[in-house]
Amino acid sequence: MKKLYQAVLFLLLCCLAPLVANAQSFRVQCPTSTITHPSSLHDNNSEPAYTAPTTFTTGSAGYLTPTANVNGAIKCQQIGGGDGLSTMGDGTQIYMFSFGPLSGLADIANGLPGTESPNAFNSVYPGTFLPGDPATTVNAGSGPNPVPIAFTYNGAVGLVPDPNALPIDPVTGNPCVVSNPNSAPAGCFTGHVDPRAIIDVGVMNGNIPAPLVAIDEDDELFYTLTNVGMIMRPDLFEQHTVHFHGYPNASTFYDGVPDASVAINIGGSFTYYYLAPDAGTYFWHCHITPPEHLQMGMVGQLYVRPRQNRVPAGASLYDALVAQQGDNRTKCDSTQDILCSNPLPFGASAASAPRAATGNYAYNDGDGSTHYDVEYPLQIHGFDPNFHFVGMTFNPEEFSDMKDKYFLLNGRSYPDTVTPGPLATQATDGKMHFAQPLPSIINIPAGGRALLRISDLDVTEYQTLASLGIPMTVIGFNAKLLRDQAGNNLYFNTNSVTLGGGESLDVILDASDTTKYPSGSVFYLYTPNLDHLSNDAENFGGLMTEVHIN
Amino acid sequence: MKAMKMNTTISKTRLLLLLVLALLLTATTHAAAPGITGPIFNLTAQAAFISQPDGAAVYSWGYGCDLSAPQPVFAPQLTATPFCYAMQVPGPTLIVHENDVVTVKLLNGLPAAAGNTSILFPGFNVNATGGVAGLLTQEAAPGGTVTYTFTASSPGTRAYYSGTQGDLQVEMGLYGAIIVLPASVPANCTSGLHAANLAAEAHWSESDFRLAPAAYDHPDTCYDREYLFQFSEMDPKIHTAALAQITDIATCVPTQSRLTCPTTLEVPTEPYQPAYFLINGRSMPDDMDPNYAAQYPHQPYNGNPHMHPGELTLIRVIGQGRWQHPFHEHGNHVRILARDGNLILSGSTITYPGAAAQALAGRLEFTTDTTPGQAFDGIFYWSGKGLNWDPYGHHPGSSDASAKLSCTPDANGYNTAAPTAINFWEWCQDHNKPMQVAPFGDVAGGGPATLPDANILTNGAWYGGSPYLGPNATLRATGCMPSGATQTNAPNCGATGSTPPSGTIANPPSSEAGFAFMWHSHNEREITTNNIFPGGMLMMMLVDSREFVIDESN
Repeated sequence: MKKLYQAVLFLLLCCLAPLVANAQSFRVQCPTSTITHPSSLHDNNSEPAYTAPTTFTTGSAGYLTPTANVNGAIKCQQIGGGDGLSTMGDGTQIYMFSFGPLSGLADIANGLPGTESPNAFNSVYPGTFLPGDPATTVNAGSGPNPVPIAFTYNGAVGLVPDPNALPIDPVTGNPCVVSNPNSAPAGCFTGHVDPRAIIDVGVMNGNIPAPLVAIDEDDELFYTLTNVGMIMRPDLFEQHTVHFHGYPNASTFYDGVPDASVAINIGGSFTYYYLAPDAGTYFWHCHITPPEHLQMGMVGQLYVRPRQNRVPAGASLYDALVAQQGDNRTKCDSTQDILCSNPLPFGASAASAPRAATGNYAYNDGDGSTHYDVEYPLQIHGFDPNFHFVGMTFNPEEFSDMKDKYFLLNGRSYPDTVTPGPLATQATDGKMHFAQPLPSIINIPAGGRALLRISDLDVTEYQTLASLGIPMTVIGFNAKLLRDQAGNNLYFNTNSVTLGGGESLDVILDASDTTKYPSGSVFYLYTPNLDHLSNDAENFGGLMTEVHIN
Repeated sequence: MKAMKMNTTISKTRLLLLLVLALLLTATTHAAAPGITGPIFNLTAQAAFISQPDGAAVYSWGYGCDLSAPQPVFAPQLTATPFCYAMQVPGPTLIVHENDVVTVKLLNGLPAAAGNTSILFPGFNVNATGGVAGLLTQEAAPGGTVTYTFTASSPGTRAYYSGTQGDLQVEMGLYGAIIVLPASVPANCTSGLHAANLAAEAHWSESDFRLAPAAYDHPDTCYDREYLFQFSEMDPKIHTAALAQITDIATCVPTQSRLTCPTTLEVPTEPYQPAYFLINGRSMPDDMDPNYAAQYPHQPYNGNPHMHPGELTLIRVIGQGRWQHPFHEHGNHVRILARDGNLILSGSTITYPGAAAQALAGRLEFTTDTTPGQAFDGIFYWSGKGLNWDPYGHHPGSSDASAKLSCTPDANGYNTAAPTAINFWEWCQDHNKPMQVAPFGDVAGGGPATLPDANILTNGAWYGGSPYLGPNATLRATGCMPSGATQTNAPNCGATGSTPPSGTIANPPSSEAGFAFMWHSHNEREITTNNIFPGGMLMMMLVDSREFVIDESN
């Protein structure tokens, strides 16, 4: 082990030192004002209520600019592409090519999306990052019963004032070199980052699943991929990309397919730019050599929350959906557009459903039928330990005999799926890393409804997930509301759903009947692919988790 | 002996080499849904070797045209050099019209040891005559014939395949597609925006390669372009064993050490470990070579879809193997119209342009499952709507006329009034809206995103050379005006642009510069060819700016 650690250190010096010298290649982006979201009309650190479609006028440069009712805001996130280690349900450590968080570290460790508003993203870490953070800092308490040290920072790792930014005050010289970076003038922040912090946090920082992304319709998302290199496979010089799977009318440039676009070399950052697509459950993954990089773990979840959530409580959801017809980008006229999925609900009216005081909606349904109290992303995946072993040990890989032996929900097998909080694994740098931050225990308040955002990125076979107890109501499929062109909901009840790799669907577990589903009861989500209820050689575990009625 | 992925660098080099070879061998041509027209078909089943991109020649069985019968009529009619030899995988695509009385005569030309063979036409009420009785239908004995007759009772895409020892014969390649075109075309499919699309095609001297203007007798099944994809997989062990036994049976002479010779095949079809994953009988990159390419005499059909913004593209997809494959269409969702020729309709009626009809109720999917024996028809389009930046890189301050085109939104926000314009079907809400913070080349700045130093990026073979769509925008963005004049913002005409367009050999910045999207199986290990990545069930779909002529004549 020591030898390996020395080798890793050697590689770190050899391979990454030149990158440090070219620090400009790492950058982040998170503007506070854009054409679509001018800060003069709305502060982009919060979501405005949806009351009407945005109104536009053609500006002097020849394009439309908003004049009123700006909807959505700006969101930013940074992720690192590299490698890491995670721990399977039988205790085996497994090597991954993987993404790790480089922003929203505290949120990710708490099982939340790492997508931040500009004021959170653009904040500077007050201390010095330690390798393995946030786990290293959290675990640094001393004494016989150490108390975890709170780690609350959610900004962009590495962000510092740009020493080369133009001096603002000609008398004092360059004001961007300041003792308290958080008090530096806004003009000092150009996206410049300190690569040391990126490398300290980003190397061996891989997560499974990859960092969770959540945005709201009408948001602009600045999604920065920083390629820190795979320190245990320095021979590969591997690029990475982000493929936003399911993005409608995608541009090739931001689609992340290396054959058809650009791929990001080691030592570089690239900011993917998206206007949030229609609400729904999507996912994202690296698109380099997909049979390899997906099997190795570069898969994550992404969902888009509907405009309807932002309708003021008590206001008519139907009226809000009618209002959406006022903007060609947000309308759905089934007679004109064969690819739109949420026409006005059939037979509904303004009085049909008011915006509930609590909870949220999965889609712009206009009738309140996708309401939920709690939501849980559930990503199905599989690991073939033989493939991961040859992936770690410089051996050639075979694809046709790939056979998964670990079956994962959010990167964990049962019973780890119900362990709260992040799971840490000691990586080859000797540090603990929060490699599996996301439990998949479903906690439903008594009488409530849970939305399960289920996606599958297994690369070898179809997977079935069944519910033992509460029926599944499927309300969405592939990030689209299940509704016919006339507006009739096509929801259906089932006890199981089957997904191929690259598919997603939305399920509501309706526990509103407290007689059937009383507080304290426990139900299960498990796979009826019975050989998948195992953790490699252990005839126990696998693709299973628990549903608790609280 | 197995070829394996050593590392990505080697894979990419190999990919580029394959591409260079492919491009040297063939001109750029595209896909369509080619086949032969009926209603009378004279087919045969024979053995031949099909070609795989790892160099393997795989012993297979397939349906083909009986060469002793009259030459079939090919469709679409503009196909340049079609052929239908005695064996092909998939079998000939049979194109008929609704209400046709279809007659398929099958001659069994397989090696005698393979025994009987037959064809099933699920979804039709088939009358089989001649031949010998089989389990599922009448069969043709070796050297014998059987005739199937049925009425093409409803439109749509369906599979046909062997009904004899299917675990072996379908695996060996005995499958194909039958397309039934609707008896009547809804009026709105030949007017309005569909007529405008035809006007645009005519303006750019592009031909119409559709089999029909509509997939069904329904006003929301109009389409402007169409492709057929048949998914299957092959386990080479089965094919090797079949050939060995056929050869042994044909040559075996009883000896003292081997008293009796086998007379029938005993090929194990389990355990099943496919190594080839095929679209229309070919693996990537072969699937992107033209239809009827001379180097694939037994695999005439390709998978190389192209389309222009706004065109409704009908995809006809069939699962022909024994596995399901999640087929992921990058770029947009697909509206499922029908499965096995059965339109999926709502109980409610809505008013489409020109006609009221039951509303469509098929799902919208970004990953469409292919299922053994099952076909689906779906509609896809790409428009650029919602990007929040102008993919054409329009710039009112430019000196290039094409950079200053206008965009007049129709009722749905698209520029559809000018079919002859490069930006026909542009999404007008983003017209002139910049993407990049800094101006680049002739494309104006002021947008939200900063692009990095191009040296940290690696370009793919299908990268168009800039973030923008079409040669006009790409040339303007990458430093050189289409006229050859030097630009104001980037006085580096002849140099590279926002990212250097080097290596973009499959989608050149100066001629095509389309938006390339990968259409592939998302059980990702199936985008390999006998353990080599890339390969298998993978093709690139190109959205081409209107001025690029899509030629589907082969």
